[in-house]
Amino acid sequence: MEKIIGLLDKYYMVYLQGLWGTLWISAVTVLCGTLLGLLIAALRMSRSKLLNSFAGAYIEVLRGTPILLQLYFFWIGLPKLLPFELSDTMCIVVALVINASAYISEIIRAGINAVDKGQWEAARSVGLSEIHMMTHVIMPQAVKNILPALCNEFITTVKGTSLASVFFVGELMTSYKSVQAATFLALQSLTIVGVIYFLLNFILSRLLRVLERRLTASD
Amino acid sequence: MTDEIIRTENLKKSFGDLEVLKGISTTIRQGEVVSIIGPSGGGKSTFLRCLNLLEQPTEGKVYFKGQDITDKKLNTSKFRQRMGMVFQNFNVFPNMTVLDNVTLAPILEKKVPKAQAREEALALLRRVGLEEKANEYPRKLSGGQKQRLAIVRALAMQPEVMLFDEPTSALDPEMVKEVLNVIMELTRSGMTCLIVTHEMGFAREVSDRVLFICDGVIKEEGSPDQIFTCPHDPSTIKFLSMVL
Ligand SMILES: Nc1ncnc2c1ncn2[C@@H]1O[C@H](COP(=O)(O)OP(=O)(O)OP(=O)(O)O)[C@@H](O)[C@H]1O
Ligand SMILES: [Mg+2]
Repeated sequence: MEKIIGLLDKYYMVYLQGLWGTLWISAVTVLCGTLLGLLIAALRMSRSKLLNSFAGAYIEVLRGTPILLQLYFFWIGLPKLLPFELSDTMCIVVALVINASAYISEIIRAGINAVDKGQWEAARSVGLSEIHMMTHVIMPQAVKNILPALCNEFITTVKGTSLASVFFVGELMTSYKSVQAATFLALQSLTIVGVIYFLLNFILSRLLRVLERRLTASD
Repeated sequence: MTDEIIRTENLKKSFGDLEVLKGISTTIRQGEVVSIIGPSGGGKSTFLRCLNLLEQPTEGKVYFKGQDITDKKLNTSKFRQRMGMVFQNFNVFPNMTVLDNVTLAPILEKKVPKAQAREEALALLRRVGLEEKANEYPRKLSGGQKQRLAIVRALAMQPEVMLFDEPTSALDPEMVKEVLNVIMELTRSGMTCLIVTHEMGFAREVSDRVLFICDGVIKEEGSPDQIFTCPHDPSTIKFLSMVL
């Protein structure tokens, strides 16, 4: 216990930096993953067979292979593919975004499909164009189904970013590793990081529950 | 016939192997009120939904004022603006106010100025006794009020035809009357109406013509007096003896 306090006293900046890293990487992952996921969901639901099967394959591959493999793949592959320099961290963030987009596109699709069929028919019957139907009738209702699942995805991502420490991208697990390397106090440092993860996700899931209650209350 | 508004020719619709409409040919004239009756599963809803392309007909033709609507080049949403539909489950938009339900399509699709759309919507809402609910959300409305709102939402696009699919079947008995009154008023104003209904008294009162649809075909059609007092087809006789 004293050792833990000692570590905190001396290295708290390292942990805070790690926490910050975890938070921004997760936020960027979910935010960009949502934008990309919207696109993938749109392709997946489009009438074109080609686009449809492309999106289907994209989702299947990303969900059917380990995320750690995908991180390695982008970490090694992206710098070779791109004409400009990309930091390790950015390669990893791109990989996380692409991975998240596969899961999020399915969340979005499920949320859209859960909107009552009668709403689509009513929107069409008054002569709304397909785009106006989506923007004014379907999506506003789908968001209620999507938001809670998206917050859940954020929590999953927070935990998932720990894998990025393999590449020392500066999130919480990287903090653990650097303190451990400097002090050889592995268990203590791990405990600290574990407590931070737990508290973070505990707070997030509480916020999620409040959000869910708000959303159902407005029905 | 110059005043024909809808004509179907050998209209067929299948869902997979199940042939639901087996060739329906009929003509609806301007200002005509046509009730459609028949047993459950007979294809009444499917017939109505083929008329505004909520279902794509498998075979046959549907003409709207002489224009073939099964033509792939048709702008479907533009066409649907000319035909209102009212559903059994109301299907009002829960994410917007009563007023916005009514003004949404006119503003977005007909580019009616907001202030004007609002005025027209309020006038329509007044006609069905919903004016003071204009700024409420639909969840605060009773079933009868929701259905009146759905009717007004359709009317706001100034359609040339109104399709009703069992507009009172999901209502508590005490609310049926208020909705039927609105529809009755509409038929008197000269609106062309197709009404799928199980309210036989109402069908008899408002219709110019009654279609009896069973097993995917029009088994019998005629004036309400003829259909309800001396039906010819055995299936009509059997159906009416069960519901009357
Ligand atoms: N989207 C669909 N997919 C498959 N089968 C369908 C679909 N829509 C309708 N059917 C089938 O078509 C048949 C006719 O249905 P329809 O709803 O037109 O009947 P209906 O005369 O309106 O009956 P009801 O009085 O119960 O409303 C039914 O057997 C129904 O199960
Ligand atoms: Mg029906």
